[in-house]
Amino acid sequence: MPSQRQLKGRIRSVKNTKQITKAMQMVAASKMRRAQDATKATAPYTETARKLLAHLAKQGATKRHPLFQVRPIKSRLLIVVASDKGLAGAYNSNVAKQYLRELLDDNKNQVNTKSIAVGRKVTNFVTRLKDAELVGAYEDLPDTLEGYELRPALDSAYKLFVDGEVDAVDLVYTEFVSSVTQIAKTERLLPAGSAVETAIQAETEDVPQEATFEPDEETVLESVAYRLINAQLFQAFLDARASEHSMRMLAMKNATDNAGDLIDDLTLEMNKARQAAITQELAEISGGAEAMK
Amino acid sequence: MKLELVTLSGVKVDQEVYEVMLPTAAGPISVFPGHEPLVSIAVPGAIVVREKKGDPESALEYYAVSGGVIEVSQARVRVLVDEADHGEDIVEAESKAALERALKLKETAKTEVELEKATQLIDRHQVRLNIAGLRRRHRR
Repeated sequence: MPSQRQLKGRIRSVKNTKQITKAMQMVAASKMRRAQDATKATAPYTETARKLLAHLAKQGATKRHPLFQVRPIKSRLLIVVASDKGLAGAYNSNVAKQYLRELLDDNKNQVNTKSIAVGRKVTNFVTRLKDAELVGAYEDLPDTLEGYELRPALDSAYKLFVDGEVDAVDLVYTEFVSSVTQIAKTERLLPAGSAVETAIQAETEDVPQEATFEPDEETVLESVAYRLINAQLFQAFLDARASEHSMRMLAMKNATDNAGDLIDDLTLEMNKARQAAITQELAEISGGAEAMK
Repeated sequence: MKLELVTLSGVKVDQEVYEVMLPTAAGPISVFPGHEPLVSIAVPGAIVVREKKGDPESALEYYAVSGGVIEVSQARVRVLVDEADHGEDIVEAESKAALERALKLKETAKTEVELEKATQLIDRHQVRLNIAGLRRRHRR
C-alpha cells in the first residue's frame, strides 16, 4: 500500500488536473454557444442564395455555366475541415476516418484525389499519408469566422474545377446536428448542380419570370453561384466549429468526472492508510505498556 | 415595398421602405415601389434607405455593404451581401485609423489568408469612410 504522503501527492495532482479540465469545459461550452448562434445566423443567407439560384436555373441560365458542368469524375478535390487543437474527443479522428474512407473509395474507382486541409491536426495527418496530394493547408483561423478566411481555399477549389483539373469538389466535415450528435460526413460542393436541384424543389414562391439582368445573365449567375458555394462552405466551417467545441466540452466533462471519481477513490485509500497507521501505533503503545509490567 | 438585407451573420433589415439607393456594378441606382423586376450585382458601397415618402435628407438610413447580389421584384427588394454595417455604428476617426492599419497589413501580409483579410478590411473601411462623409454632408 502506498504511504499517506504519496497518496496526498497524487490527490493534489489529480485535483489540479480536474481544475484544468473543468476550466476547459467551461470555455468550450461558451464557445459552443457562440458557434451555434453563428450557424443559425448564416441560414437566411444560404436560403436567399438558393432562391436566387433557383430563379436563375428556371430561366435555363445554369446550363451553360462552367460551375454547373457535370463531367465524369476522373479526379476530385477533397476539402477536409477539422481543428488546430486536440483534446476534443474523437472529433479529429472521426474526420480523418471519413477522409480515409473517401480516399479508399477513390483508389478503388481509380480516381485521382487532391486534398486541401483545414486545421493543423488534419494537415499533419494528410502529410503523413503516402499518396495523398496536398494542394493547400490552412491553419490558425480566427475564433470568430467572418467569411473572408475561406476565400483563398474557395478560390483555389474554384480554379481547379473551372480549369478542369478536378471534376468534382467535395467537403469532408463534421455536421452539427445537436449538442450531443455530430456526424462526420461528405458533401458535394462542385459542380453546383445538386444545389440547384434541391433549390428548385424547395422553391414554391412566385418569382417574376421576366426579370432584367444587369449587366448580363452570366455575370449575375457567376456572382450568385459563387456566393452560394461560399455560403455552403462557410456553413460547413461553422458546423465544424460548433461540433468541435461541443465534442471538446463533452470530452472535458468526462475528464472532470473521472478526476472526481479518482479523487474519491484516492481519498478513501488515504483514509484507510491513515487509520491503519493509527491502529498500528496504538498496538505498539499498548504492546509496549504490556511489556513494562 | 419591402427591403430585405441579408448577410452572412443574419438578416440585417426586413422592413417597409419607400426608396432604396443601391450600389450596382454600373453605378448607383434608386429603386421605388413598382420598379421593374431586376437582378443585378452589388459592389462595395452604400445602401441608402428612405423609409417614408417625403422624409428629409437627414432621416435617411445608411448601410455600408460589401459586394453581393440584388434582386428587385414587384413588392420586394432583396439584397444579398457578405456583410453590412449601419451608418450609425460607424465612427469616422476609427475607420480612418483602421484603414491605415489595413494598408500596412497588406504590405506585410505573409499568407493568403492575411492578404485576403487586409484587402477585405481596406474595402470595408473605405466604404465606411465614404458613408461617414455622406452622412456628415446631409446632417449639416
